Amino acid sequence: MIFGRFKIEPRLEPKLSWQIVSILLAVMMSAIVCAIMLNSAGVDVGKAFYLIFEGAFGTWKAVIKTLVKATPLILTGLAVTVAFRAKIWNIGAEGQLFAGAITSYWAYTMFQGAPSFILIVMVILSASIGGALYGGLAGYLKAKFSVNEVLSTVMLNYIIRYVLSFLLISGPWRDPSSFYQQSSRIIQAAKYPMLFGISRLHMGFAIALVLALVVYLFLTRTSLGYEIRSIGFNPKASRFKGINVDRTIIIVMMISGGIAGLAGAGELFGVHYRLKPDISHGFGFLGIIIAMLAALHPFGVILAATLFGGLVNGGIRLQVFTGIPTAMISSIQAIILLFFLTAAVLTRFEIRRVKANE
Amino acid sequence: MSDLFQSTIVISILAATIRIATPLLLAALGELITERAGILNLGVEGGMLMSAFMGFYATYASDSLWIGLLAAMVTGALLNLIMVFMAATLKVEQVVTGLALNMLASGLSLYMYKLAFSDAKSKIPTISIFQNVEIPWLSQIPYLGEIFFTQKLLTYVAFILVPVVWFFLYRTKFGLEIRCLGENPKVIDTKGLSVTMRQYAALLLGGALIGMGGAFVTICSTVRFIPDITAGRGWLALVIVIAGNWRPMGLVIAALIFAFLDAFQLQVQGIGVQLPYQLLLALPYVVAILLMVFKRGTSEEPKRLSVPYFRGER
Amino acid sequence: MEASIRTVNLTKKFHQVVANDAVSFDVLPGEIHCLLGENGAGKSTLAECLYGFYKPDKGQIFIDGKEVDISSPAEAIGYGIGMVHQHFVLVSSLSVLENIVVGTKSQGLLLDLRAAEKKIKSLCDYYNVELDLHAKVWQLPVGQQQWVEILKTLYVGAQILILDEPTAVLTPEESKMLFKILQLMTDDNMSVILISHKLNEVLQSDRVTILRKGKKVATVTTAESSKEELTSKMVGREINATLEKKPMKAGKHFLAIKNLKAKNDRGQEALKGFDLTVRTGEIVGIAGVAGNGQKELFETLIGVRKATEGEIYLNGVDIVNRDPKYIQKLGVAFIPEDRFAEGLVSDFTVEENLILGNHCDKKFKKNGFLNFKEILVFAKECINKFDIQTPSEKTLTRTLSGGNAQKVIVAREFAQNAQLTLANQPSRGLDVGVIEYMHQMLLKKRDEKGGILMASEDLEELFNIADTIVVMHDGQIMGSFPVAEADINTIGLLMAGHADQPGPSQQVDT
Repeated sequence: MIFGRFKIEPRLEPKLSWQIVSILLAVMMSAIVCAIMLNSAGVDVGKAFYLIFEGAFGTWKAVIKTLVKATPLILTGLAVTVAFRAKIWNIGAEGQLFAGAITSYWAYTMFQGAPSFILIVMVILSASIGGALYGGLAGYLKAKFSVNEVLSTVMLNYIIRYVLSFLLISGPWRDPSSFYQQSSRIIQAAKYPMLFGISRLHMGFAIALVLALVVYLFLTRTSLGYEIRSIGFNPKASRFKGINVDRTIIIVMMISGGIAGLAGAGELFGVHYRLKPDISHGFGFLGIIIAMLAALHPFGVILAATLFGGLVNGGIRLQVFTGIPTAMISSIQAIILLFFLTAAVLTRFEIRRVKANE
Repeated sequence: MSDLFQSTIVISILAATIRIATPLLLAALGELITERAGILNLGVEGGMLMSAFMGFYATYASDSLWIGLLAAMVTGALLNLIMVFMAATLKVEQVVTGLALNMLASGLSLYMYKLAFSDAKSKIPTISIFQNVEIPWLSQIPYLGEIFFTQKLLTYVAFILVPVVWFFLYRTKFGLEIRCLGENPKVIDTKGLSVTMRQYAALLLGGALIGMGGAFVTICSTVRFIPDITAGRGWLALVIVIAGNWRPMGLVIAALIFAFLDAFQLQVQGIGVQLPYQLLLALPYVVAILLMVFKRGTSEEPKRLSVPYFRGER
Repeated sequence: MEASIRTVNLTKKFHQVVANDAVSFDVLPGEIHCLLGENGAGKSTLAECLYGFYKPDKGQIFIDGKEVDISSPAEAIGYGIGMVHQHFVLVSSLSVLENIVVGTKSQGLLLDLRAAEKKIKSLCDYYNVELDLHAKVWQLPVGQQQWVEILKTLYVGAQILILDEPTAVLTPEESKMLFKILQLMTDDNMSVILISHKLNEVLQSDRVTILRKGKKVATVTTAESSKEELTSKMVGREINATLEKKPMKAGKHFLAIKNLKAKNDRGQEALKGFDLTVRTGEIVGIAGVAGNGQKELFETLIGVRKATEGEIYLNGVDIVNRDPKYIQKLGVAFIPEDRFAEGLVSDFTVEENLILGNHCDKKFKKNGFLNFKEILVFAKECINKFDIQTPSEKTLTRTLSGGNAQKVIVAREFAQNAQLTLANQPSRGLDVGVIEYMHQMLLKKRDEKGGILMASEDLEELFNIADTIVVMHDGQIMGSFPVAEADINTIGLLMAGHADQPGPSQQVDT
């Protein structure tokens, strides 16, 4: 296409600067849509945005709360990032989170008498093993039977919720003293230690940050990371050069599920101190949005997760003061992704000045 | 006496099967057209949910079920319009787009519901739904009459649409073009026809069907709207397309299998069988995985499914 | 006589690359006009402009003397232009009829195949071709599939037919048939534009327009020209007709294949049980049109495809159905047919592609992590040694030209010092310069006691560098000849499937 002195053509190599621009554009456009939604609901837009900001980052207390909310999102975001890098569409981070929560709670019941340090280590280990096995199952179905991983992980998401429901209602883990569908409260020794004394920022946050670094190093500097990227870009050529694609698929899903499982343990032993069905508020699905916004970069995941954690808190504050349902925030989160995908198209094209003699 | 008891249950289960299969079948038929045109739309669940809500809301606001149905179909088509714009025009990653649409529909339907009915704090909004239509004479047949010929209008439409969609895909010119889109869109392009425009048409058509499926969940089934009322039916529709091997007849069988499991579970709960109810609720999803594992024969999956078409690709 | 189609100063650019630079040529009614040029000369781009696939940046196109603006294939079809692409554009799961009829104008909404069937049948009769219109395309041999492509254009009334490298996929016999059909067409005053770089065919045309690096070099009347003149105009310099090839010093049998059977992706038998050997210091060339089992043979040899029966011995070790990593470690290198789909990861950098397959090697690792320094050194070495034209080793491989992409693959494979090198159509789509270079490298390997098994559709290439020529047809080896005793006519007949030709056959001892 030619417009006067400029020409739009497909870009050969993507540039980082344009990727950042597309994220900013997406956030801006979503803010405009948000403003429209608020306006039509009869709320003062400026006041609403201020409330959201206050709830997200307004005070130190708010920042801590946001980081607590961001913790599971960093983990699910990382889980999805690892899988998506291999072009394996793991939509099951939600289910793998629950699987991790379940197995970690089981470990808790097994090791309750042990010293706190051992107990927590066992809890963390079993969370990752539980998530890894559940993710690995979907990986195995894909590798051996070519089952579409999107659908299998979605199905598995539903199945594990029913398993959890069984365990908490009719099964062995029901809290006999409570009316609600939940387990009894965990003992003090099992709680994740807090990072800064009396704040609510628990060890899970530190785990998440460390894991982000580990995932980054893993993807960019190890030969397994190389293989993951290779099969994501071209599984056929990878197979031709000796990479065992099937085995790698299973490994990737186990790693992905394992990381998501840690999110489950974090919510259980760091926030709720009980096993219950709403231990996750769609964290697995938010992880997908976060991974995409981060362009599948582990450090970007930390930023995007913090942003989304802030949005959730901001939305709660907004609801308290204006009555606007928090469902608006969920809509906005999806809208940000849609705008981002649209804006990312910009990175595929470039505008070039047409020289005089062309 | 026990004989009668048993046959009543069986009839009840079978009638429920036909009823429950309706939204699954409609959404699956809509998705079939979409996938045959080469686009994988994971946003079926979102499309059904949003259509279910809009169908409910429009019926409530206008007091007319037909307007509600129309609103639902338009909503389904609109959501598919977003999908095809992103998939065919912008050519972005289809998997993620579909997921985003699901999440959008989930949040937006709840948000709009809460906003629309924030005043009616004490009374939960309800509508009166479509009633069963008894086919004259046929519905009098013992047993079969109750199962097949005493259903909602939309159910009859759904099952009639199966041969209609088959005819559309295999006996019309546009249907042939759609099938080419999914297998090798370059064929359409080199004949001088627009790939993009045809994908738009296919998705709008499919979206209307998905909208019908969503409408059934509210205005044909229940008087009130519950958040996430579609409860995974859209995902089952996607599995149905795969399990049915992308053929209309196969779709019906798969839809009926899932519907039967659900109908069975409902009935069994009622008479207090000693199985944990969560197992029965999880059964359709387990069966879905099994169906995908044990697919027999050559797959008719459209070769270019979810691959955006670029002219002059390297 | 008014030209049926003429271009004046047609220019087309992609980014900074000028694909067609002010090309002016014309085609007369009743003429077979060849567009001759190396790969990258601009022939296909010019054709795509005529067909409305691309819009020229500058220049004009005239049809029957009237200036036209062809901005889409629909308009090109309207002007009577039809195109048969090099890679067929067909839906293999649909029938011949459906492929021809889809998208064509007709009454009503319903599909009426009967009327179309009559019209197409009469076309087939007119050109003396037998074709089952209800067969699914995947069931047809390649030659018939091409006829379907031609029918697509005739069905909508094409008067100007463009064929892009049509004989690349045909046996010599099928090529003859094609030219008979083209002759009938020109007798009816149709115009045929034939894109080719095969001189044998070019010599059958009426006139030739030679393109080089986007510019038109000349238009000559074929009868008044010669192979040498055409070649030198095409390449721009005198060609060294012969490569320096030392006499073969073959050693023991290194690769021995016995009764190998395997299925293709459709589940049909692609390899039907044959024997084949390659000795150290020997280049064995497999002659045959692609699609006769070569792809499946190589895939079975490197371990990506399952053999249903048979044995493969590499230096005495049975490697049949072992995994690719194991086979690669034993000393097998492979240059696959499809550069970007099978040989490279386009979204990786040149550096990353150079270590593909060897990324787990100790020499590229340090403390468990990838040793970027070593990798960089290795990459720079390869780029230098093989003269890979790339802005940097960190450039995305996707942006490289076909020739340079092939060099990356060759560099990577040769760096392994493998005893056995496999190559499937290694010269396809490359410039003469790059091809020469690759031949030199292959000969060098062979002189260093490596064994090479390569498949090529280019008989001339095989006669130039192979020591032994083996003919493959329909999953069988039809015959095997030391190159000195090979006769091109015999080979041509064997390629077409005619067995019982005179000639020595290969002895296999392990």
